[in-house]
Amino acid sequence: MASSSQIQPQPGAGRIAAAMAGQPQAVLIVLLLLLCGAISLAAAQFYSLANIIAILRQSALVLIVAAGMTTLLIGGEVDLSVGASLAFTGCVAMDATNRSGSVPVGALAALAFAGAVGLFNGLVVTRLRVNSLIATIATMMILQGGVYLYTREAVQNQHHLAAFTGIGAGYLGAFPIPVLLAAAVFAAVYIALRHTLFGRYTYALGANPIAARLSGLRVRRLKLAGFVITGLLVGVTGLILCSLMNAGQPTAGRGFELTVIAAVILGGTSLAGGRGSLIGTLLGVLVLKVIDNGIIILRWNQDFQMVVPGVVIVAATWLDTVRVRRRAV
Amino acid sequence: MPQSRNLLRVLTRRSEGPLLLCLLAVIGFFALASDTFLSVRNITNVLGQASLAMMAGIGVAIVFISGEVDVSCGSLLAAVAIPLIVVMNATNSLALGIAAALALGGVVGVVNGFLAAYLRINSLIVTLGTLFVLRGGVYLYTGQTAIPDDAGLESFFQLGNGRLAGVLPYPAVAALVLLLVFAYVMGHRPFGRHVFAAGGNPDVARLAGYDVPRIKFAGFVVSALLATCAGIMLASRLGSAVHVAGLGFEFQVVAAVVLGGVSLSGGVGSLFGMALGVLILSFLANGLGMLDLATEWQLVVTGAIIIAAVSFDEFKRRQKL
Amino acid sequence: MLSDPHSPALAMQGIGKQFPGVVALADVDLTLTGGQVHALIGENGAGKSTLIKILAGVYQKDSGSIRIGGVEAELRTPRDALRLGIKVVFQEIALIPEFTVAENIFLERHPVNRIGSIAWGKLRADAKALFDRLGFAVDPGARARDLPISTQQMVEIARALAHEARIVVMDEPTSSLTPKEVALLFTVIRRLKSLGIAVVYVSHKLDEIFEIADTVTVLRDGRHISTKPVAAHTQDSLIQDMIGRRIEFLFPRARGPARSDVLLSVRGLSTKDKLRDVSFEVRAGEVFGFFGLLGAGRTELAKAIVGFDPIRSGEIAIGGQPLRPHDTRTGVALGIGLLTEDRKTEGLMLEQSVQHNMSLAALGGFAVAGFVQEARERSAVQGFVDRLRVRTPGLDRPIRDLSGGNQQKVLLSRWLLRGLKVIVVDEPTRGIDVGAKSEIFALIDRLAGEGHAVVMMTSEMPELLGLSDRIAVMANGRITATMPRADATQEGLLSAAIA
Repeated sequence: MASSSQIQPQPGAGRIAAAMAGQPQAVLIVLLLLLCGAISLAAAQFYSLANIIAILRQSALVLIVAAGMTTLLIGGEVDLSVGASLAFTGCVAMDATNRSGSVPVGALAALAFAGAVGLFNGLVVTRLRVNSLIATIATMMILQGGVYLYTREAVQNQHHLAAFTGIGAGYLGAFPIPVLLAAAVFAAVYIALRHTLFGRYTYALGANPIAARLSGLRVRRLKLAGFVITGLLVGVTGLILCSLMNAGQPTAGRGFELTVIAAVILGGTSLAGGRGSLIGTLLGVLVLKVIDNGIIILRWNQDFQMVVPGVVIVAATWLDTVRVRRRAV
Repeated sequence: MPQSRNLLRVLTRRSEGPLLLCLLAVIGFFALASDTFLSVRNITNVLGQASLAMMAGIGVAIVFISGEVDVSCGSLLAAVAIPLIVVMNATNSLALGIAAALALGGVVGVVNGFLAAYLRINSLIVTLGTLFVLRGGVYLYTGQTAIPDDAGLESFFQLGNGRLAGVLPYPAVAALVLLLVFAYVMGHRPFGRHVFAAGGNPDVARLAGYDVPRIKFAGFVVSALLATCAGIMLASRLGSAVHVAGLGFEFQVVAAVVLGGVSLSGGVGSLFGMALGVLILSFLANGLGMLDLATEWQLVVTGAIIIAAVSFDEFKRRQKL
Repeated sequence: MLSDPHSPALAMQGIGKQFPGVVALADVDLTLTGGQVHALIGENGAGKSTLIKILAGVYQKDSGSIRIGGVEAELRTPRDALRLGIKVVFQEIALIPEFTVAENIFLERHPVNRIGSIAWGKLRADAKALFDRLGFAVDPGARARDLPISTQQMVEIARALAHEARIVVMDEPTSSLTPKEVALLFTVIRRLKSLGIAVVYVSHKLDEIFEIADTVTVLRDGRHISTKPVAAHTQDSLIQDMIGRRIEFLFPRARGPARSDVLLSVRGLSTKDKLRDVSFEVRAGEVFGFFGLLGAGRTELAKAIVGFDPIRSGEIAIGGQPLRPHDTRTGVALGIGLLTEDRKTEGLMLEQSVQHNMSLAALGGFAVAGFVQEARERSAVQGFVDRLRVRTPGLDRPIRDLSGGNQQKVLLSRWLLRGLKVIVVDEPTRGIDVGAKSEIFALIDRLAGEGHAVVMMTSEMPELLGLSDRIAVMANGRITATMPRADATQEGLLSAAIA
């Protein structure tokens, strides 16, 4: 009885979209190669070591949070507060380091603060049962207002600790530290999603929450974990960003949440939950950041950096829609 | 057949009653806390300030009721000011400027509606995308500065700054008129009822012969046009097309709409509830400002109120089940 | 529209419809005459609902032709169907819950006044007049969501008459009606006949068909089996056409009698909205069936006893252990699980593999320090695929590619793999073709034979009579009768269900 369905050929754009939707990762790799090729033809310095490191470092910031966001979206939830939390975390990290004169204390403060934001989001969603979209928009507003109540202007580096600067700008061997951190986060989340109970349960939760509950899964705790993990990863990123800027900027991270979500969805993770992969997210991040970089080194107007993710996120979701519709009859 | 008994039932059922009480409580609190709060000048000022969110909120509420989401209004506010000012500067005609603004707004609504209703792309994503693209477009066009109004038409100035009989700001008058018109449409025209049906149960609506995508499409177009009206008023107040106008405006509007009892899942809500939501948040912002609290408290309080309102709604819904 | 008065009101010819993996309809004919009631019968999955959905414009036919009044018709959307005078009353209630009854009646076309405003007064008066004419006692101003299901169904039927329909299709209209309401419905149908309207009456209640229908068309496995005047049929010949084989063959019983140990005991169970003081016990090796009309509370009971829905009072014990705290996690740990009525939305993870779907509840047992031992998981899943003869091209295939019967086996295995002793099945054969049905029956029989306790909720009387050891009947959230199978008759069950 399990005969495969006959797929009708679709005309024009629909067919290309369907093909892309079927193999999102292969398409992203091709897209990435094409972009790199095109940009390097127009601007030879694209392949310079400095530029590649710049791209990787930029990608690292997005990827760390995107790893958490991928987990959340697979579980059927979303967090729009990551951008506002990022800025606030940076201020907290710098302030705590200034006061204590200790980098570990600053790092812990960043993780504790961002983790607490994640916990708050998770509790509002699981206990008060507020739709996560609305709940995290509200958290975003609270954080945006809160950060100005906390500090009127940027928190400057008064401790001048080399180790603090090293978090963002330092190298371990040939590799920038943020890139290594991102690689570690990527590996850990990849393994967690693929090979642990947590990952399998998260997929199940997003794919069919009722089936998950009937199977005896701890649905609330699982969701809560997704929010807290995302929060902690925002903490890591906030720390790096604050180190890179050498200040805690209350205005940092505007629109960061949308870049992250754009990358995750571009990577083939479904907004509807239950489907997605971290490899796809990695590719999505790279595509967006290479485009960003291209805009800069080709000396285009940097305001295109707002337009491009907007178009990309809509197009990526369209592909996802086409794929889902093609399967569902 | 608005019999008084029915009216009362409608009021209590649609949770506009509690909202009204909430609004009165906010007003009462600040009236006691500040001497100048309850002056005619201050009240009419607040109404003027609330009118932008009210106009855009009508559209957003209609889109919500149809079962979709529209968060593009913040950037649209800034974007429509550009054709308005540019055309006015070139032609010295307010009418042509407004026509140009409405044309851009209409195009944005059509694009949103086409992508969300016909291509069935998640409307949150579509309108987030529009939000980004429009803001980026505004920055690109203006080079991140404001475009001043060189025509200096008195009629344009009056639009946002004049007052009816010297008391009520014109934007508030416009918002009130639009509110009444659309409340009538949603409650008493077949189109409005179709919107409710399409959001309440799209399958039933389809079986009843409704063209559900077209209904949703129309909602997006209406929403964009109403946001355009708000954008025109704002441009008049600012006297220029400001590239950062309306940053974060979409979240205020969504907050007010949700606070006003319009369900995110579609089919439920009233425009009067939305209007009360806008007024509560506006009076709150104004009052906090008068108490010399930092304006950032507004954001914090608004965020907290949204969480409280939505979780209360959710709690009530579960009690009913 | 120009039409020939002598041509049939509707002629569907050679209708075919395929879904991925299933031929839902193959070469089906249906001809309706004005002023006649045409019964359409067949088992679940015979193709009745697909056929009427094509008629309603919900599905598109793949092949064949539809002529209305002798004119070729294209039914691409529900709107096309309505415009051509076809009104379908579906079994699922199609009212907008937030709207009043009166507005729901005129959902297709709100009456408007000169300036295009909805004429609420006229709308209400028209609805009232319609109800009076039909003899319905319903308040047109009531909100649809506040009405009991049977009343909502009457409203649905009234809706069909508010429009100038020439063809009215009723899909299991009596599934939740009381006998008094059924009598009222039949009066209405006779009035429709006298108006020259063609009525399609979909049902599997044979006595109703003998009472109201003029002609009967039988479908089986998506094929047209017979169309005859109802007078040419007997109960037996109808059943023969529907099932195509004898009942004993469909329900092979291999297991012995139930054992003495009680695996599930429910005492005085009540929930906030539906269930009232429900008590029963199920023993190892027993299949305990629940019968009831739509809305009687079977699904609510199923969800309450596995810990999914909260309860207000009462005691549930699995294998002697109380289900406390009342949640599914405890339920699964104690050994009770639910095979839900709605496979797609409550059971399957459609995009995920057969393996992941099957192992979901048992996954913790394959994990060491939080890491899933995939080799162990795979071999356990393979074991159940072999044992239950799940036909799948591979364990890694998405489960959506499997047929309904095989999906159901995977979901059943989800519980068996976890080692549950008490399995609650809610409408286990919904949307499954006939061949697979008897396999599911055999499987349930085998599980009981191996010492499981099975609680089965179903509205299919043959299933209940064929499989159960004991049968409880529910009405309005209560158990109104409990009887051993030997004492149960279709009439006895029905009268208890209506009580």
